Amino acid sequence: MIVAERKPLNEIVQSLAGRKRVLVLGCGGCVAVCCSGGEKQAELLGEQLKLAAQVACKAASGGEEAARGGTAAPGGKVEITVDCITRQCDREFFANMKHDLKDFDVVLSTACGVGVGYMTALYPEKVILPALNTTFYGANVAPGQWQEFCHGCGDCVLAWTGGVCPIARCSKSLINGACGGTNHGKCEVSKDMDCAWYLIYKRLKELGRLEDLRKMRPARQWSKDRGKGVRRLTHEELMQDTEVQK
Amino acid sequence: MRDGSLTSKQYAELASPADLMQREWAPCRYHCPVHADVRAYIEHAAAGRFGAAIDTIRDNLPFAAICGRICHHPCEANCRREDVDSALAIREVKRFVAELQGAKGSTVRKAAKQDKAKVAIIGAGPAGMAAALDLAKLGYRPTVFEKFPFAGGIPATAIPKYRLPREVIQIDIDWICAHGVELVTGVEIGKDKSIEQLKAEGFSAVLVAAGLAKSRMLPLPGADHPLVRPVLDFLQEISLTEKSAIGQDVLVIGGGNVAVDAARSALRLGAKRVRMMCLEAEAEMPAWEWERTEAREEGIDFINRRGPVEILVKSGKITGVKARKVTRVFDENKRFNPQYDDGDVTTVECDCVVMAIGQMADLGFARGSNVKADARGRVEFSPVTFQTSDPAVFACGEIVTPPGSAVEACASGQRAVKAIDLFLSGRAIRLSDELPPFIGKIAPAVGEKVRQVPRNKVATADAAGRKSSFEPVDFNYVEAAALCEARRCMGCGGGAEVLVDKCAGCLTCLRVCPFGIPKVADVATIDSALCQACGMCAAECPNNAIVSRSKPARDLATRTAAILKDKPGQVIAYICGQHASAEKWKAITEVPEVNEVYVTSTAGISVNDMLSALVNGASSLLVIACHEGADRYPNAVGRIRARVMQAKSLIQEAGLNGERIKLFELA
Ligand SMILES: Cc1cc2nc3c(=O)[nH]c(=O)nc-3n(C[C@H](O)[C@H](O)[C@H](O)COP(=O)(O)OP(=O)(O)OC[C@H]3O[C@@H](n4cnc5c(N)ncnc54)[C@H](O)[C@@H]3O)c2cc1C
Ligand code: SF4
Ligand code: SF4
Repeated sequence: MIVAERKPLNEIVQSLAGRKRVLVLGCGGCVAVCCSGGEKQAELLGEQLKLAAQVACKAASGGEEAARGGTAAPGGKVEITVDCITRQCDREFFANMKHDLKDFDVVLSTACGVGVGYMTALYPEKVILPALNTTFYGANVAPGQWQEFCHGCGDCVLAWTGGVCPIARCSKSLINGACGGTNHGKCEVSKDMDCAWYLIYKRLKELGRLEDLRKMRPARQWSKDRGKGVRRLTHEELMQDTEVQK
Repeated sequence: MRDGSLTSKQYAELASPADLMQREWAPCRYHCPVHADVRAYIEHAAAGRFGAAIDTIRDNLPFAAICGRICHHPCEANCRREDVDSALAIREVKRFVAELQGAKGSTVRKAAKQDKAKVAIIGAGPAGMAAALDLAKLGYRPTVFEKFPFAGGIPATAIPKYRLPREVIQIDIDWICAHGVELVTGVEIGKDKSIEQLKAEGFSAVLVAAGLAKSRMLPLPGADHPLVRPVLDFLQEISLTEKSAIGQDVLVIGGGNVAVDAARSALRLGAKRVRMMCLEAEAEMPAWEWERTEAREEGIDFINRRGPVEILVKSGKITGVKARKVTRVFDENKRFNPQYDDGDVTTVECDCVVMAIGQMADLGFARGSNVKADARGRVEFSPVTFQTSDPAVFACGEIVTPPGSAVEACASGQRAVKAIDLFLSGRAIRLSDELPPFIGKIAPAVGEKVRQVPRNKVATADAAGRKSSFEPVDFNYVEAAALCEARRCMGCGGGAEVLVDKCAGCLTCLRVCPFGIPKVADVATIDSALCQACGMCAAECPNNAIVSRSKPARDLATRTAAILKDKPGQVIAYICGQHASAEKWKAITEVPEVNEVYVTSTAGISVNDMLSALVNGASSLLVIACHEGADRYPNAVGRIRARVMQAKSLIQEAGLNGERIKLFELA
């Protein structure tokens, strides 16, 4: 699942650049599951923006919280509307919006970058802004905690790395074993981070499969990662004669 | 658990979110003969909203004050709390609320226009008065004729004052009459006026609600002695005059509640010894267990499994009752069919006998009318249409139903009104018996997690003191006890419902629920029979996919906005129901004017609720929670702490002082 986290309010407010009629659009998919961008969080962002606007108004009139306000001020009166659809990465769901995009100067999307990008492609006349930083593909390891497990590199190696991803979990995405910075199982980048290659070694040893590490393998296809530009997936059996949206 | 799921579209299309409550009822409501919305009125009471509580009670139950004292409370007998610790004292909460509010404190909702047909009602008992009220609310013009000089029926004429003070009855009568019910007392239909006369006076329909006005007697040798008293005459005389002819050694024949009332009344009139004799063994006696206990506490003895054969009279005085042994009361088919051992006959000494073996109808009202009696001497009557042999004359209450309770008589009166309304609007009389299903027992695994709170007892007068007067034998709750008792209610059936199309299957509900209720297969399901309605899941669900059956979505935010609309810039306090009406939290805040908003528990307050209070103009928000372990839901305090922290940091991010949201945890 895609994991994302809320951007700081200041950054969001600055990106709004004084636009007045704002639609905060939640996504009921991955970002809802990681509790960052579902309907509830979209509403919460809406409330925060309204408060920031109130503070800004007061600041303008020299109010009590003026000193504190300042940075978060979206610049006077704004109209905030909140909506949410099932997923922002599928065109059909946009038909379920309760509001008409025409009525807004800007859409603040609480989807991951996919939602923001796809909406921009679908509605080129609109300004679509991100409210989240899309962070990683991860799992919910404990209530309230998510962790990265995969990088989406396009050429999966988990079969011979004992299920531990060196691309996602080694700070340098090394593919041929640990670097000199490995330190008693920890990564030189941070004492809190496990060395991925240490984990791989340990795991394969437990499995009695250290042989796998000695095998010669063809050079990695980094082109499947970002090397050849935008990646696409095609299932010919599902294709129809409709135009592909960029 | 009920079948079928709820989508957000269906939810949006509901006329009112409260319609969800109709999917399944709590068992208290289901088993109440008038189906009073117990959960709802107890919730009002728990929050100190006593006015709203009495209005909700009276929506279904006109005899709220009377039933607060004397109802046999089938609601309590079916309360799900019984499997946690003990049933909620629903009747005592009702009694507190009804008598605190009185007639003036109950809202009168009169029909906009009362210009429909005139309807005459015979008898101002529970059945007749309940019917009159509903007729008036429908716009009819009801007149109730009562042969006694006051309204109330058996509760006013026979139920002893130590159980039901007369001023309590008046609360209900006054409130009912305020709806445009005309009451004519001291007029006996069949004697002072006939049904035909009523019709001639312009009444389009007549409803007979004359109850059971005569005592059954046994044709025993000696039974014509003046100190063999028919129970109703005896109780009615006491009720009117606080006196009645009686001996020193009283034997009450009968084992039901009426017999207990007669026995306890005889004690209060000064009898030296009072005993009850009945066919049944103690466990078979129809009198409620609590009635028997109270009687025994006052020194009344039971003689079980004896049937009277003869009243022994010597030189004009009763000396005893000859009684034979009863070998069985009920046959294999559980039908009343007593058998005796004539070889085992004893004499029970006494100088006075009260016959309390049942009541029967007095058909005097029918004189000079088309209303006929059936072969067994009862009013000819259709339980389907409520009509007698005269289609314009209807009947309800105990005159046509098996003997029961005041609340059942009210229910019968209310149903009769539906029939009369159909009749008078020229439609076929067809009444539906359909009710929603009720939720089942609480599962032991869930019941264990519910915080135990002992039932609040009512104070009772000690037996030695109470048995010499007709003063009440027990006392109303004080406010603190009423609140505490009401807060024991688990809000059954008012819990969470998943909007399946919105659910992302994120498992948040499953992780936050302190009772382990939600299950998530592809989407979440919440078994309403198990849900404790704490609201934790709804407060956290990232997709707003969980709604409450008992509260509209965003209820708290809406209520808060309504307060702030008239007076922005005020302080709002979200107060845990455990602290309703408690002054103590005010002492610690130093805020002069605070708008109190009560919640059942802070468990259901979301971060969004907190922010929206400020958006809507609250100058600051106080969240008043219980201290750890005192909240009705496990870990509610932990959750609210985390949420308040999040809310503070979010408002700070927006440029506000984080101190504008404050949490207080009170001991
Ligand atoms: C001693 C006793 C104790 C009871 N205790 C309880 C209890 O604790 N809890 C409980 O729930 N129930 C109790 N009941 C039962 C309850 O009182 C009855 O179920 C209920 O009153 C029946 O209501 P009703 O309206 O059908 O009849 P009633 O209450 O009998 O009312 C009928 C009314 O019609 C009037 N009437 C009759 N004929 C005429 C006429 N011809 N013209 C004008 N008016 C007429 C009567 O005077 C009376 O006022 C008790 C009953 C008795 C007898
Ligand atoms: S928290 Fe909400 S979205 Fe998540 S599983 Fe429960 S109901 Fe579904
Ligand atoms: S969290 Fe509370 S409201 Fe939700 S399912 Fe559990 S008990 Fe019911």
